[in-house]
Amino acid sequence: MNPVGIPLKEPSVSAAAGDTEQLERALIDASTRVPVLIFYTSAVGWLILGTLLAGFVSFKLHTPELLANVSFLTWGRVRPAHMNVMVYGWASMAGMGTAIWLMARLCRTVLRYPLLLVAGAGFWNLGVFLGLCGVLFGESTGYQWLEFPSYAAIILFVAYTLVASWVVLMFRFRRGDQIYITQWYLLGAFLWFPWVYAAGQLMLFVVPVQGVLQAAVGWWYANNLMFLWFGAIALGAVYYMIPKVIGRPIYSYHLAVIGFWTYALFSSWTGMQRLVDGPFPAWMVTASIAATILTLIPVATVGLNHHMTMQGYFPLMRYSPTLRFTVFGAMSYTVFSLLGILISLRSVARYLNFTQVSIAYSHLGLYAFFTMVIFGSMYYIVPRLIGREWRYGSLIKLHFWASAYGIGLMTLMLLAGGLAQGTSMENPSLAFSESVQSVLPYLRGRSLSGILLTASHFIFAYHFGLMLFGLGRKSTVPTFLNPVEAEEASAH
Amino acid sequence: MKGLAPLFLGIFGTFAFSWVGLTVIPNWQIGALNPQSDEEGTDIYPLPQSGMVTRGARVYAANGCFYCHTEQVRAEYAGADIERKWGDRRSAPRDYIFKRPVLLGKMRMGQDLANIGARAPKEEESPAPAGGASPAPQGAAAPSGAVASAKAGSPPPAASPGSAVASKAPASPAPVASSSSPSAKPPAVAAAGASNASPSPAAAAAAGSPAVSPSPSAPWPEQTAGLPPMYSAAWHHVHLYSPRSVNFDSNMPSYRFLYRLRRITDARSSDALQLTGSDAPEQGWEVVPTFDARCLVAYMMALNQSHPLKDVRSAGAPAAASPAASPSPAPGGQPAK
Repeated sequence: MNPVGIPLKEPSVSAAAGDTEQLERALIDASTRVPVLIFYTSAVGWLILGTLLAGFVSFKLHTPELLANVSFLTWGRVRPAHMNVMVYGWASMAGMGTAIWLMARLCRTVLRYPLLLVAGAGFWNLGVFLGLCGVLFGESTGYQWLEFPSYAAIILFVAYTLVASWVVLMFRFRRGDQIYITQWYLLGAFLWFPWVYAAGQLMLFVVPVQGVLQAAVGWWYANNLMFLWFGAIALGAVYYMIPKVIGRPIYSYHLAVIGFWTYALFSSWTGMQRLVDGPFPAWMVTASIAATILTLIPVATVGLNHHMTMQGYFPLMRYSPTLRFTVFGAMSYTVFSLLGILISLRSVARYLNFTQVSIAYSHLGLYAFFTMVIFGSMYYIVPRLIGREWRYGSLIKLHFWASAYGIGLMTLMLLAGGLAQGTSMENPSLAFSESVQSVLPYLRGRSLSGILLTASHFIFAYHFGLMLFGLGRKSTVPTFLNPVEAEEASAH
Repeated sequence: MKGLAPLFLGIFGTFAFSWVGLTVIPNWQIGALNPQSDEEGTDIYPLPQSGMVTRGARVYAANGCFYCHTEQVRAEYAGADIERKWGDRRSAPRDYIFKRPVLLGKMRMGQDLANIGARAPKEEESPAPAGGASPAPQGAAAPSGAVASAKAGSPPPAASPGSAVASKAPASPAPVASSSSPSAKPPAVAAAGASNASPSPAAAAAAGSPAVSPSPSAPWPEQTAGLPPMYSAAWHHVHLYSPRSVNFDSNMPSYRFLYRLRRITDARSSDALQLTGSDAPEQGWEVVPTFDARCLVAYMMALNQSHPLKDVRSAGAPAAASPAASPSPAPGGQPAK
């Protein structure tokens, strides 16, 4: 391909207007520096901790005697610790950092009331830490993604209120009437999260609903957290990063609007698809299956929109780290949704419902989709906060490939293992232990993929640390994955 | 898009739609179920849980048992759960009205436990002393060969499925299964082959139900050599303490931290674990369950959905056959119906 003519930097605007705009952006970026970096640094810390816990969980699952006799290291406690550290520590904090920066940029106003955010980050960290301790010392509540004991949940909620009130304030001070699609998603995420979280907490712990409805509320919460909180932030970031990096507006604003509303409408109804044929009124499950199938509409519109925006610019993924991670994440969103549709169908769920496939599904959503998009955003945002460029293109490349192969291998292993497990489980002439034995080799393979992911996260954390200590490159040109000049020379 | 009002309204509306649809309306529908009873108001099911059971549920949740064990039996058309004898009918919302937390589970790395209490030997059904009454053989009396094989480290993965296949081959009569290498085979699996002779409720159900294939082997073993009766409270304690001494293929971690090693003062305590082989404590010592462990076992013993529900059809119940071979006793100890 010939990269000539493809803008690798932000499109240069005409002199006078451009200067003001550049200056304005620089001011905004500078104002977001401290709060966003606090969120990012905490997130990377939790990411490393969560990764170590994940490796431990993965190995223990096929080596059950490993450190089994220590109460706080038993598998059933380390697993929720890993999940919650990743969900609330890493993903939520990194997502909020990204959302804050995007909000400031898109409201075109310098960040006001940074103390709200700093306090929010502090409380959030405290909440995650207390919750982690609670889970490890045996106070887990027993609802997936809501394992944190209530004292931690309250602190998280306080922290969240601080951040959300900042978002509302920022919106009041925004300049210009235009509300870009990214802001829709972010506003949605920031308004949906407290409702979902409060509804989950209230209906499970404060005035608990009766019987199986607890499980229904639990999964309703978990799915909404995935779609309306993480999914919305990630899609918002994709809508910003792709046009920004390639210097071209999104393909169709109408498609974006359709995609947003159908996403909000249908994905919020998918919660019960994880409980196919459980002890519930059949209409609840059927409604969720129908909603899951209808998510094809937002998946298709959003996917098409991103694809058409990228059309002709895919070769840029060779150079821009942000683009490479973001496009990988956007593609994973499609895969994630399609797998979700597949496993919610009753005829398929019969085999896969209680197997490792559901783990593959969660990881596709939270890692291949959300985390990869956030990595992409961080590669874009952090240099603008610090004023240095990423030091080593090679490290970014290593990070990308280790992450991509790691999550790819993990997904394949869990899917194949889940299929083996499910088919033997559904065959009552086989002993039950057969189904467990059949999945163990795949779980060992999954542990291998965990090593790749661990390596990728340590590389990223190291690189991020270099940036934090001001050891990035001083340059006006962003760090590319491959040297642009050499390619150009060889192309001619 | 101009104007925030439509955006806010839309964001709120979509959320409210989902919240009302998936939590509020179901709450109207099944959020206030009552226990069922017969005309005289007796035979009430389900009954509220005892304090120990409630605490046991918390221990179960806190240690993440529900990440590997489900507590829901799917209907015949939705899965092989009933064929696997995890229950004789599907689970229904009414089964869970006194449960808190409700631990339906999402993964079956281990068996479904919805009816684990119903599998217990009959005399244990009522709240039993955790110790298990039978003065089972202790220490050296146990067939140490079986334990030694369990001790020999985790087996190569190829080997264990093989042995499982050999033992469960559905058509093979019990003698073949148990004769095929009694010494090397893990006790639990070996017992599975022989189980068709045992007069347990499960085997009776398998034999009595005409729909089921002639497979003689019960889906789970009934008795393991040198151990307390299968699924009795004492058995659960041994299983929690040392899973692979009970079931060679088990992938369950041990929960030794729920047990205490202590010196025997005058006499061996009645709830001390009946451990064998390398798990057995030294002479003069005994392993006893903590209160949490006893609550956990009480919780598992209370998991029992075998009572028929009016709104759910029990499986394998062509009405004529069921009274005689009624597979599962009611919680009170009388036969169901």
